[in-house]
Amino acid sequence: MTLGSHLTPLARSHIVQADVVFAALSDAIAEEWLKRMHPDVRSLQPCYAEGKPRMRTYREWVALMMAELRADKRVCGVFYGHPGIFAWSPHKVIEEARAEGYEAHMEPGISAEDCLYADLGFDPGRYGCQHFEASQLLYCDRRVDPAGYLVLWQVGVVGNRSVGRFDAAPAYRALLVERLEQDYPPDHEVIIYRGATLPVEQPRIQRIALRELAGIPLTAEETVVLPPAVTLQPNRAMLVRLQALDASQHAGTGA
Amino acid sequence: MTDTIELLIVIGSDASLRYAPPSELKYVLDKAGASVELKMAVTKGDCAPLRVKLGIQGVPQTQAPSHGDEEEEEADLPLPERPEPDPSPRRPPAKRGSTR
Repeated sequence: MTLGSHLTPLARSHIVQADVVFAALSDAIAEEWLKRMHPDVRSLQPCYAEGKPRMRTYREWVALMMAELRADKRVCGVFYGHPGIFAWSPHKVIEEARAEGYEAHMEPGISAEDCLYADLGFDPGRYGCQHFEASQLLYCDRRVDPAGYLVLWQVGVVGNRSVGRFDAAPAYRALLVERLEQDYPPDHEVIIYRGATLPVEQPRIQRIALRELAGIPLTAEETVVLPPAVTLQPNRAMLVRLQALDASQHAGTGA
Repeated sequence: MTDTIELLIVIGSDASLRYAPPSELKYVLDKAGASVELKMAVTKGDCAPLRVKLGIQGVPQTQAPSHGDEEEEEADLPLPERPEPDPSPRRPPAKRGSTR
């Protein structure tokens, strides 16, 4: 999300018309931007704490927003990027609000994913694109398709269970590289991407080999993208069936 | 000196400024009395001093629990199977529900 740029007119209108605005934004300056739209902006960031499980923090966010809603306030929660992507509490608070009979809905926003397609210049529709929270590749048995793009989120904190532990990364990341090398060669290109937060910044795009991923400095803001490693293979059996279907359709039309 | 945040908001929302060449943007910033840090970000492409001045820190790009976080284990993750000792009383099954 870029300051000053990535806010839809409708989202701005919700902010302006709310009684109270809760903010979970990427930095203090984005909160300052918000404060210029509304006099009562309450930051959710202080709920984070080193070593505190994120889930507890997100439950507190929901509780704070619900408390104001139950006090008959018009509540707006503002989350960086898209509030429904890789975000737990916006979905949860809407679910709880509706369950208690309140009107609630989500406005889409411009996410890091949206910026990524624009800045890296690829279309997820061309070869397909998988997205994973990086730790999921370690905790779960997932199928990676190297014929499409692979986007990994939170690689900087892969394997870590709580916010604030961004330090032990190389050892955890070495496991991730080992997992990825099941599907990609060690010299396969990996793109490290960070979108522009400030409108005077350029997106940061770094290209390395997969085997180097464990050793490089990586912040929590950065996203890892693996371009396709193999070409798309035709599904011959399905192509034969499609041809047969086409032929029967033509025969039906001609009859 | 013009407010840095105000200037950033103006640049971010104006198509002619957002992608303006650094020399043009510097001219605009000079006229507006922008801070040294903001002008350095534009002319040298070095946003580090500006980020420090504005208190910008790196944070995770997601606001969802990571796999392995408490409660998500109860909901989404296949937990490793452990043999239960026969005579011990059974614990209630883990609560299952959607967390996303």
